[in-house]
Amino acid sequence: MGKAFDPDEIARSLSTLDVHDYGDVLQCMRCGLCLPTCPTYRTDGLETQSPRGRVALIKAVIDGKMKASEEFVEHIYHCLDCRNCQTVCPAGVKAGELVLEARYRIEENRAQPLIKKFLLNYAILDQKRLAKLLAPLKIYQISGLQALVRKYDILKLVSDDLRFMEALTPKLPSRPLSEEISEEIPALGTERGRVGFFLGCAMNLIFADTSRATIENLTRVGFRVIVPKEIQCCGAPNIAEGERKIYREMAENTIRIFADRRVDYVVTDCAACGLELKTYREIFRKNPTFTGKAEEFSNKVRDVSEFLDSVWTPDIKLGPVPEIVCFHDPCHLRHGQKLTYPQRNLLNRIPQLDYRELPDEGQCCGSAGIYNITHRNRSMKILQSKIEAIEKTKAQAVISSNPGCLMQLAYGATHWNKGWNVVHISEVLNRSLRAGEKTG
Amino acid sequence: MNKTFAPRLEELLGSEKVLSSESELLCYSYDATPLTSFKPDAIVRAYNEEDIQKVLEFATQENIPVTTRGSGTGLSGGSIPVNGGIVLVTTAMNKIIEIDSEDLSVTVEPGVITANLHSAVEALDLFYPPDPGSMKISTIGGNVAENAGGLRGLKYGITGDYVMSLDTFLVDGSKVKYGTKCVKDVAGYNMTKFLVGTEGTIGVFSKIVLKLVPKPKTKKTFLALYDDVIDAARTVSTIISRKVIPSTLELMDQVTINCVEDYSQIGLPRDVVALLLIEADGHPAVVAEEANVIEEACKANNVRTLKIAKSKQESDELFTARRMALSALARAKPTTILEDITVPRPAIPEMMALIREVAGKFNILIGTFGHAGDGNLHPTCLTDERDLDEIDRVHQAYEIIFDKAISLGGTISGEHGTGVAKSKYLPRMVGPKAIELMRKIKACFDPTGRLNPGKIFPLER
Repeated sequence: MGKAFDPDEIARSLSTLDVHDYGDVLQCMRCGLCLPTCPTYRTDGLETQSPRGRVALIKAVIDGKMKASEEFVEHIYHCLDCRNCQTVCPAGVKAGELVLEARYRIEENRAQPLIKKFLLNYAILDQKRLAKLLAPLKIYQISGLQALVRKYDILKLVSDDLRFMEALTPKLPSRPLSEEISEEIPALGTERGRVGFFLGCAMNLIFADTSRATIENLTRVGFRVIVPKEIQCCGAPNIAEGERKIYREMAENTIRIFADRRVDYVVTDCAACGLELKTYREIFRKNPTFTGKAEEFSNKVRDVSEFLDSVWTPDIKLGPVPEIVCFHDPCHLRHGQKLTYPQRNLLNRIPQLDYRELPDEGQCCGSAGIYNITHRNRSMKILQSKIEAIEKTKAQAVISSNPGCLMQLAYGATHWNKGWNVVHISEVLNRSLRAGEKTG
Repeated sequence: MNKTFAPRLEELLGSEKVLSSESELLCYSYDATPLTSFKPDAIVRAYNEEDIQKVLEFATQENIPVTTRGSGTGLSGGSIPVNGGIVLVTTAMNKIIEIDSEDLSVTVEPGVITANLHSAVEALDLFYPPDPGSMKISTIGGNVAENAGGLRGLKYGITGDYVMSLDTFLVDGSKVKYGTKCVKDVAGYNMTKFLVGTEGTIGVFSKIVLKLVPKPKTKKTFLALYDDVIDAARTVSTIISRKVIPSTLELMDQVTINCVEDYSQIGLPRDVVALLLIEADGHPAVVAEEANVIEEACKANNVRTLKIAKSKQESDELFTARRMALSALARAKPTTILEDITVPRPAIPEMMALIREVAGKFNILIGTFGHAGDGNLHPTCLTDERDLDEIDRVHQAYEIIFDKAISLGGTISGEHGTGVAKSKYLPRMVGPKAIELMRKIKACFDPTGRLNPGKIFPLER
């Protein structure tokens, strides 16, 4: 049995945060510079929907000036965790991270619904389990049932939410990548080093072909790729939903697995996984026995663009990709990992690729994990602004590097009839690398 | 006053415009002013003039205070509802109604974001100079109410210099319009100029006409680095005394430079004791001439290095870094308390010396930055509100700083307003007779004292 919702207990536990401390809350001088960049403030225009407001709410609860009411909890879950506020805050306030800490303290002190426990404490521990859960969906897609359902818009009669989720789901691969790929793939040509590949759940189960391309790209630039199959989830969904016990267990496991494989780097093609893996060093900071290992691990983690850009040599041949493109920065790449240049450097190297900058300074697409399902209305407004920004670039293809963003942007492209392709940067690079090989 | 009036406001305006939950009241209890917060009893988001009128009429019937608020970036507590009541938020009234490029003016609703106005008029080769540090989020309504300044103040003046006409709702919900689009207009008392800077204590603006000027053709940005803050301060007076008025003349001391560099990482040297950010703008020939004078003035005052921005991007980076100064200072310690004194420019070296002296005397950390070119300095105490003894020393230090500013012929506030934060010091500066007169004027417009109570004049409890 879980605990009943206990506002006093939440307030008490909030006063000792997990990774941060009260000084980090006080750091906010309420200047308001975060307001114009926050997606929820931009859509709702309310102080309660701003990073400054959220920090003020957390502070009020800690100070005993406000109860940790159901309303407080609701506000803490309105945040998309895009971390744009952290990019723009000159005072270095970690508003997004503080919200995640508040979620942790909330969830510790209230009953957890069974479905959530099942997903975060059980399903996520093993990608095979997750694959089985997705199997019915696959049958649905290949049996012709999906075509029928879509043709007659059957789900409209059942539930609008279900209909939305159905439309959001891309075509699933026949099998997860982990079941198809070998554990060690040698470099093409002279070996320059060993990289571990962290195959994230969504990439493995939904975007298998993309990660296949990522791995191939890594081998093409001279790296042996090690893909541990026993890998668990990075824990990003747990952190987002305020769960940290299973999270830490999975993180320890991941750190051990890659330590055993003796890799020089750990590369991932999922921006959310990348941020989470780099965050392990923070999450274990107060754990004296594990902090060193976590630090060592996080130091090795690289986003795929970050890695490729850093090891790029002039002799790597790229063929032409004659297309107008833009890059949607996943928040967990741009604001979470503070990476903007590597992906642009890579794209600008591709011959005939016409790269155009999105004119919205790294706004979120509204996907944000399961935010587009839990807060659909606002998520769709945020997506609409993104679609308008993309439109201004006149791009034919929208490139990104996070599975959630890819699904959201693909949904938007279909929903608003835009006809542009939505692809992962690995796929564009793969096309160019292959074309480069042909031209020699 | 009956505090449970929110449901009736909802009935009057529609529930989507009225906020009154516990979290909402908390989130409209503050602005950017440190250590000050009071909860309202309800918040109304006005979408049009009718909403403003209805709120004011309702508040009159019910005898409720009304505090107008834009984005809540004020630094003197101007939008904090000290006496509770209604917070009237104007951010949803954010239309640029008309840009008159024939007659060089722009008509806006009060909720337009300052930086959005800049980009809209600059696209037409026009220029709205006032640029407060918070311009990316501050509203024009708030800028007018506080008579906000900014980096370009010394050459171009401040918000009030650009306000041509104001549609204003008075406390009873009636509307008056003062001013015209005419460059010359001396009909009757100049109520437009009077209303600017009244901090929401006289009326609520619903439509604002601003003067525009042609966009400067070119500009040149300098970064001057010094080993002594007094040398930097002397450079300011030297430039002015040589009859050159740059469009920007900003000062940052070492504490500020380091905090700004920590955030922006644009390569500001951390070992310099002070820097000046100087910009000349206008016709290319004039800019070239002024640049020479600026260079000479810097060299005459022991500048260590004088750099010229090579590109627009480099110059933009420097300006952005400067605008971030206040928030960046908040990195160093949990609590940031800043002031806004202004002194005649020849007195800047003396003022800077005193700030340095009191910081040492009271053992507190003060970072000073500011618009040195117009004498407006922001000595900022980096402290911790949990350390009550230190907070007490901070207040003692400011007392001395205020007295010095007044004795040098300066003012306790250059651009942030009196608000709640400085109402205590106002009598000291203007004297009892002036306060009495101001109170009479206030009573003329708002006899029951319901418009933004507790500002400019301390609340009589």
